[in-house]
Amino acid sequence: MLELDLETPGLSRLLAADAPLDRIYHGMTFGEGPVWNRRDDSFLWVDIVGDTIYRYRKGVGTEVLIHPSGKANGMTFDRQGRLNIAGWASRSVWRVEADGTVTTLAALYEGKKINSPNDIVVKSDGAIYFTDSPGALYNPAMAAEDLQQYLDFQGVFRISPDGKKIDVVVTDVVYPNGLAFTPDEKTLYVNCTRKSEITAYDVKADGSMGPGRLFHKLTGPEPGIADGMKVDTEGNVYCTGPGGLHVIDPTGRLLGRIRFAEHCTNMAFGGADGMDFYVTTYTSLFRTRVQVPGVAVW
Amino acid sequence: MTTTKLKFEKVAQVAGAAGGLAWDGIGMLFTEMVMGMGGGSIRRYNPQDGSTSLFRKYTVLTNGIAFGPDGSLYGCQESSRRVVRFMDDGSTTLTECQINGRYHNQPTKLALDARGRIWFTDPWSTVRSFGPQFVPYLEHASVLRLERDPQRRLWEIKRITFDTAAPRAVALSPDDQTLYVAETDNNPGGLRELRAYPIQADDTLGPYRLLHSFGRDYRGEQRGIEGMCTDSAGNLVAVAGSNKCGPGPLLYVFSPSGAVLESHALPADLPMNCAFGDAGLGSLYVTTAGGELLRARDCGRTGRSFGR
Repeated sequence: MLELDLETPGLSRLLAADAPLDRIYHGMTFGEGPVWNRRDDSFLWVDIVGDTIYRYRKGVGTEVLIHPSGKANGMTFDRQGRLNIAGWASRSVWRVEADGTVTTLAALYEGKKINSPNDIVVKSDGAIYFTDSPGALYNPAMAAEDLQQYLDFQGVFRISPDGKKIDVVVTDVVYPNGLAFTPDEKTLYVNCTRKSEITAYDVKADGSMGPGRLFHKLTGPEPGIADGMKVDTEGNVYCTGPGGLHVIDPTGRLLGRIRFAEHCTNMAFGGADGMDFYVTTYTSLFRTRVQVPGVAVW
Repeated sequence: MTTTKLKFEKVAQVAGAAGGLAWDGIGMLFTEMVMGMGGGSIRRYNPQDGSTSLFRKYTVLTNGIAFGPDGSLYGCQESSRRVVRFMDDGSTTLTECQINGRYHNQPTKLALDARGRIWFTDPWSTVRSFGPQFVPYLEHASVLRLERDPQRRLWEIKRITFDTAAPRAVALSPDDQTLYVAETDNNPGGLRELRAYPIQADDTLGPYRLLHSFGRDYRGEQRGIEGMCTDSAGNLVAVAGSNKCGPGPLLYVFSPSGAVLESHALPADLPMNCAFGDAGLGSLYVTTAGGELLRARDCGRTGRSFGR
């Protein structure tokens, strides 16, 4: 059963309160990075503090996929089905190749070490976008090997489809965290943990961004912050926030919330129909069902 | 006993609170403590020309800093709950932040002995640590010691005091035989004490001698010691007090037995730390919560420093 609140009439089309809510893994310290792999019907996520990438398969259960993981954070798949990782404490974006070897995609910007990649998304043209907040340089229990911040900003970066060029595309978010494209990829949403805001940017033809505009301000007296964020095929936005997950329509209006007693960190759509819905909290991985499928990651 | 009153003058000013001090042989390093990611710095005051330069950016709330005997520079990152080493190549590395598998609290000040071991205070702090608050604190607030495992050369932490609740500052006697601890709880009813612990042959501490206890008046509790160091003769120099109550912001010189040899009124409120510097280590520097770096030349004492 889902606990829904602040419901508006539009919410019931997306979510049903009697949907099952299963806790399918428990025992992380800081769950994150949820992503569905439709190639082999598996689900991946991380424990940042536990330095581990996990894999879950129906009928098989949970197994450790990669450990140590450089305290990996956000994850997604590219168009070739390769796992792309916002490396957090490794201070890099890296990719797992088909043969299991690892390729570093970004570690420096203008010769300086980047901060600590937080979350990641791949556009259909193959360009990789990632947020680069410096949490791994400052937060206890998430420490990178080199704790020194070198960049004078916290940005959103774009790695060109050929992997040869790294550009900064957003610099006006205080603490950029979750990011997601609209289904038509004409707009990029970036949330800010510090200001509890989601900013929308028009995506230009060259992959850079126009000026940002406030899309939605997350509110609520409960604990919870802007962290993970995903979009469904109708353009509705799911974002962590006070009290659990906030569901926002394409115009920026709050449709309602899915309440969680635990601190939510991120979410991902999955399953053959894209309507399985996974949620990571600090300690657990949950799964429920939604009624509008998510944007497939590859 | 007559002593000349030291004349403190402001030689530098930063926007945030000024905290740690470490003489590097030519200049005085001092920290600017700023809450919030992307803030804070270590500055370097050059007494030759009176200039202040940026030594290191983004050090956030780095409180105490100190050089080791091999010239390594360490700092207590209070809001990140760790003691770090600032490397010469500009990088910053972790020492160790777990004791018996648990993360320690929020280090404030440190002192290094001749063997390169780092003695640091690890109180529960009123400063909120960075990031998600999921890392439990220790059930004790103690002086801890970082030292390298002789075989593996990895840092490990040992608990040193078992009778402290609010340790704020530490200093070692020149012979490394006495550990001075400032137990500073400025809340009503809190202890504000200067203690001297003998370091015994087996490396544990003996029972402490209470050298000084700070009082209270009609306006409240006198602010206890926030920073201290020893001079080459083994006396203890400490800063304490505030304009809120008591005798005001003062620099004290205590003998090893606790006699107050000197006290000097400071021209700025809320002193944070003190250290010797300049040629011959004959000047005293003081930092303040208002961001001032104060200096008194020819203080009549000489300091000791591992600065290079």
